[in-house]
Amino acid sequence: MTDKWRLIDMRIENAATQMAIDEAIAAARTTENNPNTLRLYRWNPSAVSVGYFQSIMNEVDTEACKKYGVDVVRRITGGGAVFHDYNGEITYSLVAPDDDPKIPEDIISSYRLICDCIIQGLKDLGIDSEFKPINDIIAGGKKISGNAQTRRYGVILQHGTILVDCDVKKIFSVLKVSGVKISDKAIKSAEERVTSLKKIIGSDLTFDEVKYALIKGFENVLNMKLLNGDLTNYENELKEKYLEKYRSPEWVYQR
Amino acid sequence: MKRVEFKIPEGKLIAAEVIEVDGTLISVKITGDFFMHPESSINDLENTLKGQKITDLDETINTFFKNSKIQLIGLSPKDIIHVIKLSLSN
Repeated sequence: MTDKWRLIDMRIENAATQMAIDEAIAAARTTENNPNTLRLYRWNPSAVSVGYFQSIMNEVDTEACKKYGVDVVRRITGGGAVFHDYNGEITYSLVAPDDDPKIPEDIISSYRLICDCIIQGLKDLGIDSEFKPINDIIAGGKKISGNAQTRRYGVILQHGTILVDCDVKKIFSVLKVSGVKISDKAIKSAEERVTSLKKIIGSDLTFDEVKYALIKGFENVLNMKLLNGDLTNYENELKEKYLEKYRSPEWVYQR
Repeated sequence: MKRVEFKIPEGKLIAAEVIEVDGTLISVKITGDFFMHPESSINDLENTLKGQKITDLDETINTFFKNSKIQLIGLSPKDIIHVIKLSLSN
């Protein structure tokens, strides 16, 4: 029998709320049997999320963020800084027990599996892409998706970004790009490192088209059926609790 | 205190900010786009390094990871030692 997972479909929220929902779904698993979940979502206002270990002052131009009305939040996952453009990006998050037989125990293998869901989805849109360890998906040599996972509360939580239509200049006006980081890549300009679905397809693409392709990709690769659902009451309670954390300067500016 | 960055070949970026007085580590902050599971281990590591002699750096870090179930993705204990030493030499 095909597994049934919950789909929480395209909620549009601010940065702190999105991060609080992701953690609430993960944490709820320790006390209630909430279902395996895939969320697809967008950030309004647009936001920068930094990885758990990143130095916010070195990664983010906070003045530019203020100027453009861009939120800044710290994730519970490691990895790099991401610009979540309301008009050009879809984020997904997946939560499942870390002993789920479908999820490899090995972390890189689990990145590969979950990224394969996205790769299959993009294939449906006519886009060839591939997994680039540790945690990226590239198309035509350029990054189209970045992913990050944590394992806590007895679950795997992986979230990631899919660039639908990126304004590269805006990305690099809010993110500070380290000269050291790109030094070992044979690319002169940071602007040449990322691409978007629209750039590859060369025509307009709606968020709905991308969403349905991703849903199909996740269902096929994980051999499950996604059914629309919403947060449980307990998850909503936890969301309110975590919201305080994600809004607090102590959390956001801790590094 | 100068922040020193190191891009690990085929790996992640790691940076260190270190305060050292007379051969003793007063404060160490490690940042970057790497992965460490569980994430809170970074605070344990930084606290462990406080008050350690620079000459004991390699041993302290190697022992910290050897005696734990911490998983590092995109970096190794060797890279952490390297970036701290880079910071000290600056």
